[in-house]
Amino acid sequence: MPQNEVVEGLDLDQYKYHFITEDEPVFRSGRGLNEKVVREISAQKDEPEWMLNFRLKALEIYNKKPMPTWGGDLSKLESVLDEIYFYVRPQDKMERSWDDVPPNIKETFERLGIPEAEQKVLAGVGAQYESEMVYHSLKEEWEKKGVIFDSIEDGLKNHPELFREHFGTVIPSADNKFSAMNSAVWSGGSFVYIPPGVELDTPLQAYFRVNQEQMGQFERTLIIADEGSKAHYIEGCTAPMYSTESFHSGVIEIVVKPGAHFRYTTIQNWSNNMYNLVTQRAMVHENATMEWLDGNLGSKLTMKYPSCYLVGEGAHGSVLSIAYSGDGQHQDTGGKVIHAAPNTTSQIVSKSISKGTGRSTYRGLCQVHEGSVNSKSNVECDALLINETSRTDTYPYIEIEEKKSNIGHEATVSKVGDEQLFYLMSRGMNEEEAMALIVRGFIEPIAKLLPLEYAVELNRLIELEMEGSVG
Amino acid sequence: MAASPANVTGTGLMEGVTDHINREVVESLAADEPQWLRDRRLEAWSLYERTPMPTTRLEEWRYTNLSRKLKLEELVPLPWEERSFSPESAPARLKDAMARDREASGRLVEIDGSVAWVELAEEAASKGVILTSLRKAVESHPQILEELLATEALPANLGKFQALSAALWTDGVLLYVPKGVRLENPVRVTRWTSQAGRALFSRTLIVAEGASQVSFVDECVSEDLDAQTLASTGVEVFARDGAQVQFVSLQRMGKGPFHLSQQRTLAGRDSTLDTLNVGLGATTARVDLNAQLRGPGANSDMLGLYFGDGDQHFDFNTSQDHVAPNAKSDLLYKGALDGKAQSVFRGVIKVHRGAQGTDAYQTNRNLLLSERARADSLPNLEIEADDVRCSHGATVGQLDQNHLFYLMSRGISRNVAERLVVMGFLGEVLSRLPLGGVVEKVTEIIDEKLHG
Repeated sequence: MPQNEVVEGLDLDQYKYHFITEDEPVFRSGRGLNEKVVREISAQKDEPEWMLNFRLKALEIYNKKPMPTWGGDLSKLESVLDEIYFYVRPQDKMERSWDDVPPNIKETFERLGIPEAEQKVLAGVGAQYESEMVYHSLKEEWEKKGVIFDSIEDGLKNHPELFREHFGTVIPSADNKFSAMNSAVWSGGSFVYIPPGVELDTPLQAYFRVNQEQMGQFERTLIIADEGSKAHYIEGCTAPMYSTESFHSGVIEIVVKPGAHFRYTTIQNWSNNMYNLVTQRAMVHENATMEWLDGNLGSKLTMKYPSCYLVGEGAHGSVLSIAYSGDGQHQDTGGKVIHAAPNTTSQIVSKSISKGTGRSTYRGLCQVHEGSVNSKSNVECDALLINETSRTDTYPYIEIEEKKSNIGHEATVSKVGDEQLFYLMSRGMNEEEAMALIVRGFIEPIAKLLPLEYAVELNRLIELEMEGSVG
Repeated sequence: MAASPANVTGTGLMEGVTDHINREVVESLAADEPQWLRDRRLEAWSLYERTPMPTTRLEEWRYTNLSRKLKLEELVPLPWEERSFSPESAPARLKDAMARDREASGRLVEIDGSVAWVELAEEAASKGVILTSLRKAVESHPQILEELLATEALPANLGKFQALSAALWTDGVLLYVPKGVRLENPVRVTRWTSQAGRALFSRTLIVAEGASQVSFVDECVSEDLDAQTLASTGVEVFARDGAQVQFVSLQRMGKGPFHLSQQRTLAGRDSTLDTLNVGLGATTARVDLNAQLRGPGANSDMLGLYFGDGDQHFDFNTSQDHVAPNAKSDLLYKGALDGKAQSVFRGVIKVHRGAQGTDAYQTNRNLLLSERARADSLPNLEIEADDVRCSHGATVGQLDQNHLFYLMSRGISRNVAERLVVMGFLGEVLSRLPLGGVVEKVTEIIDEKLHG
């Protein structure tokens, strides 16, 4: 059908992150995952022995755990994993000054607009290229206040005690098959520590880029927000479009100590050949607040359910999630909230848009343990279907053991209403503009929580994706 | 025939085959039966042997651990037996259940898996309505059974227990309502279980031809049983084009039994096929209900009500299966849980590709009345068409304190106020399908439980 060709053509053009940087990595592991690769990674990083043992143990767990049979279609994943490089080191060392970053990598990030954003709105920036952080910097005023914003490797080297105290405690290797995989081969990611009472007024950002073909990226981030602190961390992800599949599996552990407030924002815009299987979890203590803002626009398949374990009295957790699934994409996303202390509250809001043959799945868990009295949780899912070939699913799990709690879940599915379109068109908009406006309105409750620059970017992305959706 | 590899896992083979539940029982049931039925039973048995026992790793059994809840090896299947029944000499609970029924177009009593008594109003009989024991229907109406029994609606290949039911059924009900015939009063079936330690398998086949109308009330009653007992019913309901059918299952067995009810309703063009499942009794009760909207314009209201106390465990597994366009389904399941009772609601709205114009709604609400009660709710949506209106909601909470406060401020004691609020909460379900006799019985039992 000519119409489809046009649409597909548009979609490829729209993925503005499709550009390939020509470069030679300093080191690259063999293909596939085995003990040799794990030992190589550990040796390349010159790690203490406990970390090597941690990795090897995790590899054992990974090999024992079966491939999940739920969620997205992982049937071809094993053959993909046999072909990918688990570790690619793009340069010898991480830079603190932008000028020292090798020109080809620098150019990549400049095209992604990173240095500009840093100057304008960010407290600190980290950039990961393939398997390693190539750049990390933090504004001086925050450094003086004791904020640590470093690559995860430097976190392990420079803050061994703080690191070891928390690493792997929020998400144990054995949590799931892909957390085990990440624990075996992790490389890159951030180590963040916000001292007690310190409030960052601008966000920290980490940017993840996969450039090589058949590359696996396994970043590992550990964040500790100490008592009464406040911060916002943003991660963005892109990769060029290859004909073969790539793989990304991150593990993000966050400890939110009493009274702290932490927000973690992801704008995931991987190319549509990426498997994106991520475990994100926060341990939320007394009167602390954790907010996940999760935007999934790219990838072939994403399986990702940011979680809040509300372990301290009065803790609050929220997950706000936007998913966009275009042709051939499956976003299997959602959130988990575990109420394990009294007076805890949580909220999950999920909005998804499925277009063409795209499929959006909300999968979530709300669990209230016995004794978590006066817990309140509210879950809302809205799905928008653009074409008759689009698909959406909602799978909430609600497990309540405590009488003194108040738990609600609601979901709706709809298509863009003809009346809404007609109204806007009668005001002089064409159908495409009208459609884009309605979709923007649909995601607005979440988009408005983003820093302005990102909200604008998200709207623009959605608008581009919606082009050619009419007819 | 060769085993289908899809169903065979290393450990699955022969799971659930015991000293008492085995091929010989099937052979003896089938001994005098026509070839088609014999084949159907043996085929079902072979599927049963090859299908692994469901475990909590399956989504549908996630919260009901069969290995703990059901001891198949201790159960002896009840054979079919000629039984007599007279309303006068019936056990008190059974007599009471029947005495409080109102008018009926037909009545049927099943005792320990064998039909003992059938009565059909003359008017209905004269219009060609058939109400008979399923076992008798094998001889009297073989063509209906051969076409529809365990074929289209609940075939053996749907699962382990569907296969077991298709292999081991001893008796049950056939209700056939010819084209255009409308029955003024419900058909009432009462099932009585008295033998502990046994397994009984009954099936119900309801066929409502085009533009006919019928209500069916299926009540399960028993004593408290001191050994585990399995009461399994397989229910198949066909509403042909334009028919109107109401199916009500009122499960109020005593303590002890495992009640397993598998239901499939197939709603034709412009038909109305409503169901109400009331779960009050038994120690473990599992209902699988798949409602398929297979004709355009079909409409199914699916209602459920449960009240658990003690260590009762209820598990409702429902599916709103939209195959045809422009059909509607609306599900409301409400339950209250006291003591250590636990409920599971897992419901899915499935809108197939091409089922445009679907309206499908699903609501599950739970009240926790005690510290140790538990409710799990999994309302699922799977939508593959875009021109649909679908929504679902689930809540778990405690009694509305404002409601309590209001009543108490009017001088009503806390106890009574609580009862009123619970009744009001559950009453919404009954008011949507207010069938004579059912409302009173349910209200009374809940009231007893609340007085506990």
